[in-house]
Amino acid sequence: MQDKKQEPILSARGIGLQRGGRWLFRDLNLDLHAGEFLAIVGPSGVGKTTLLSCLCGMLEPSEGSVSFKLSGTSAHKPEDLRSHFGIVYQELQLIPNADLLTNVLCGRLGRFHSISTLLGFPKKLRQEAYRLLCELGVGENPHKWAKHMSGGEKQRVAAARVLFQKPEIYFADEPASSLDAYYAGRVLGLLRQEADEKGKPVLCVLHNAEHIQRFADIALSLNQNDPKAHKMRRVRPVNEEAEI
Amino acid sequence: MSLSPTPQHEKGPALAELPWYQRLNLLNTTLLIFFLAVIFSGSQIQGNERDLDILKNLGRFLSEFFPPDLTVLKSTGSALVETVEIAILATFFAIIISLIIALGAAQTIGPTWLVFSMRMLLNIIRTIPSLIWAVIAVAAMGANALAGVAALTLYSTGYLGKFFSEAFESVDMKVARSLRGIGADPLQSFQYGIWPHAKPLIWSHCIWMLEYNIRSASIIGYVGAGGLGLQLHAYQEFHQWDRFATVLCCILIVVTVLDFLSEHIRRRIARRDGSNNALSD
Repeated sequence: MQDKKQEPILSARGIGLQRGGRWLFRDLNLDLHAGEFLAIVGPSGVGKTTLLSCLCGMLEPSEGSVSFKLSGTSAHKPEDLRSHFGIVYQELQLIPNADLLTNVLCGRLGRFHSISTLLGFPKKLRQEAYRLLCELGVGENPHKWAKHMSGGEKQRVAAARVLFQKPEIYFADEPASSLDAYYAGRVLGLLRQEADEKGKPVLCVLHNAEHIQRFADIALSLNQNDPKAHKMRRVRPVNEEAEI
Repeated sequence: MSLSPTPQHEKGPALAELPWYQRLNLLNTTLLIFFLAVIFSGSQIQGNERDLDILKNLGRFLSEFFPPDLTVLKSTGSALVETVEIAILATFFAIIISLIIALGAAQTIGPTWLVFSMRMLLNIIRTIPSLIWAVIAVAAMGANALAGVAALTLYSTGYLGKFFSEAFESVDMKVARSLRGIGADPLQSFQYGIWPHAKPLIWSHCIWMLEYNIRSASIIGYVGAGGLGLQLHAYQEFHQWDRFATVLCCILIVVTVLDFLSEHIRRRIARRDGSNNALSD
């Protein structure tokens, strides 16, 4: 993994965000390399989701800049690279009146022209999406509407969608907050696997100390009292194999 | 120790009642204006100053309806089929036109200039009653069922366009935006992010419009636009009230059945759309 570290995939330089006259974070520098799993941690309301939004280009930081170096594209700015990002939103953003299978399949909409998805998705893709649903324990009712599923089931569908998308980099906002220990481990384990086997960086807002210890390489903690007092610590030594 | 009890209502601060003018909020003011309008409109309730026995006249007229002449049932049946066909085609064409117009008229989808112009267009279409549309269509296309289809298509477009645009506006755009975020193009974002939310509401409006159009299609024949209305007009002209009654009975049966079905289907759609366990029923 070390050789890949020559060039970070994500670079944030001096980013800061001001909300209602208060700085949530300032002077934040971050380099994320291929295969690294970053956990963003801190108490509720400290600005973890906001930081994640700044890093994936959904929010413009008040100061500083974020740039990317992804394979297969010359674009650097997050707003030009959104289709390469896999995002698990805190509010999930599933299509409530569409079935679970369609929700997962929508992860790959960006790869097809609208004409080819006008009448649905190819059978091969549907099968692949179904396998992912089964893997995350929601394959029992693939034709059920998402709005009729429980919170935990919806969260697993959102995880299946982002994994099905096969993005270049993952941004996940508390992807296991409504899951039991087994499925939380499964979802985070699959993200860890993406980092280990495919070298895709993962940025994940996490609360659970055990999850941070078990899955993350680096933990970035934000401080509620001092926007500049964020700390970056390496949770797992470089080259240590993940235990999934 | 002797304590004289003070009555409860004499304790504490006195309640200050609102003066009359402060009670005149929008609701009360409009109610007051309406009742004043009723009083001023009372002058319209006057007869032609002839000594008429209204009840006797009504009884004589209604007795001519009975018994209904069932010999015309066959021709009424075919006119009924034509009426339903006019309504189905008109609803279908109106749905297609309205969907296109509604995309422009929805504030969450179209640009402001387009929203304004599409809404103006829909308002103008809605202002004209179906019977006037039928007169215009008959003048342009002649007295036939096609004129009926054209008239009801235009009339329904005014309503469906408004309903559909409101259905699109009621959709939370976050999902569509998140799909755009992962690279979906505008059509995909609409198909997968907006359409599934709006579809149940839109289909519910379509069923209501179909039911409404079958009622309207029975009437527009009065001005020559095909269907049952043509028969009604002919029987009225020749004072064949027993035959007129047969047609009315047919309309009554069809509309009642449709009303029941439409209500039932729309309630099921709404329940499936809103409840958490409706799929299991």
